[in-house]
Amino acid sequence: MSRINIIVLIAFVGLLVWVFLFGQDTVSSIQRGAQSFFGPVISGANKVEETVSGIGNETLTSVELRSELDQAERDRDRLKLEVLKLDELVEENNALRQALNYVERSPLKLVPARVISRKPSNWYNTLVIDQGHASAIAPDSPVIVPVGEQAGLVGKVSQVIGNDSSVVILLSDEVCQVSARIEGTTEQGILTGQRGALSIMPDLRLKYLSKNAVAPAGRLVITSGAGGLFPENLLLGRVKQFEPGPLTGEAVVEAAVNFDVLKNVFVILTESTGKAAGGEAPEASRIDSKP
Amino acid sequence: MTYFLMVIATLVLSFIGQEFVPAIEWAFFARLLLVQTTFFCASVTVPYPVMLLLAAATGFVWDARYHVPVYPEGAAHAELGFGFTMFLYGLMGSLIQGVRPLFRRGRWELPVFLIGVCTFLGLVIQYLVISFHRGGLFLTTEMWFQMLMTSLFSMLAAPFILLLLSRLAKWTGYRIRLEGITRKYSYGNSI
Repeated sequence: MSRINIIVLIAFVGLLVWVFLFGQDTVSSIQRGAQSFFGPVISGANKVEETVSGIGNETLTSVELRSELDQAERDRDRLKLEVLKLDELVEENNALRQALNYVERSPLKLVPARVISRKPSNWYNTLVIDQGHASAIAPDSPVIVPVGEQAGLVGKVSQVIGNDSSVVILLSDEVCQVSARIEGTTEQGILTGQRGALSIMPDLRLKYLSKNAVAPAGRLVITSGAGGLFPENLLLGRVKQFEPGPLTGEAVVEAAVNFDVLKNVFVILTESTGKAAGGEAPEASRIDSKP
Repeated sequence: MTYFLMVIATLVLSFIGQEFVPAIEWAFFARLLLVQTTFFCASVTVPYPVMLLLAAATGFVWDARYHVPVYPEGAAHAELGFGFTMFLYGLMGSLIQGVRPLFRRGRWELPVFLIGVCTFLGLVIQYLVISFHRGGLFLTTEMWFQMLMTSLFSMLAAPFILLLLSRLAKWTGYRIRLEGITRKYSYGNSI
């Protein structure tokens, strides 16, 4: 080996050690820089993906468009009437609350976000959303989507890269562990993804149930709220089967959220994130948590 | 020198191209690792010190863009630390350097095969490091299939990238020198 090769090799090893010793803040600032550098390319790639996926959609004829418009107008009129009824109900509800001195639960603060990149990493089930520090998003903020009438848990924010970008680690990843319970029972456990499970809808595992747990197939699995990271009653999935073990039991759970078709999600701002950012986030919408 | 600048430009373009490479659903979300393949191809053509410099630069930018900081419980450093890709690229690049004489003689079969093997090895090492941190070794069929398909995609793309690099080498008048290796092969005009 020539002298120059040895010198460069030593320099390379020294550089490696130096980089390995980078702190979290240094890594974050480097990644912010990279994110802003690659930003236009990432958004370009996202637009291309949207265009390509839209090619398969059929173009609607004018007759079909007219029909859809008529339907939309009918829906609008119906909804107007419903809003009027709801206004009356809200007033009545407020009056009753005042009469009962009802203590209102603190509402969830939600930040709507768009998925801008999907599974950029080989080994982690992640996606990147277009909201970050500017919206008061912090690591570990839960991410949800509507699933029917309920809120389904998508995962949690793993890293806030910059003002307008964060990495979300999905519920299907082994790293994202959620305290969960089976609806209608007292069974609680930890729901987690499986390492090496790479299909679109990998099954989840609800661990640390009692070995004789009652976990019938089809029963809903929801967040228990224990630990305080995730609000309670967020939908996680449905029990597929129960596997009793020598000490504890495990349930195989089918995820409620289809992680492959996510386009828009909501990030829940926890109290700590809101305070850290100096109050309410810009453009943050509010919904009341379920009683 | 001009050739090295061209290689750097190709790597920059591969980073841009990587953003447009989709994950293939039927292959358990395997995708062509364009940057990695381009780096491995470049490693066949450049001297060892240049390969290490490219490994450092490419690995650093890759981690800056794609590193996911997942911290094992109680640990101060991520499972796959920032800079791990630099290490992998340096290691794999050193392996690939071994087939430079073959490539110089116009034999691309082994370099292309080795690029696939190195892609596979890189993924296996990453998975083993993750498993070491989390405890337990779960080897699923899906995982093997994904790694094999990723390697296959790299092997399919490698000839085209090697062709591009050989054209660039010819255009810039660059020739591979075999320092430290027996000189029994005659130096042709090809790279």
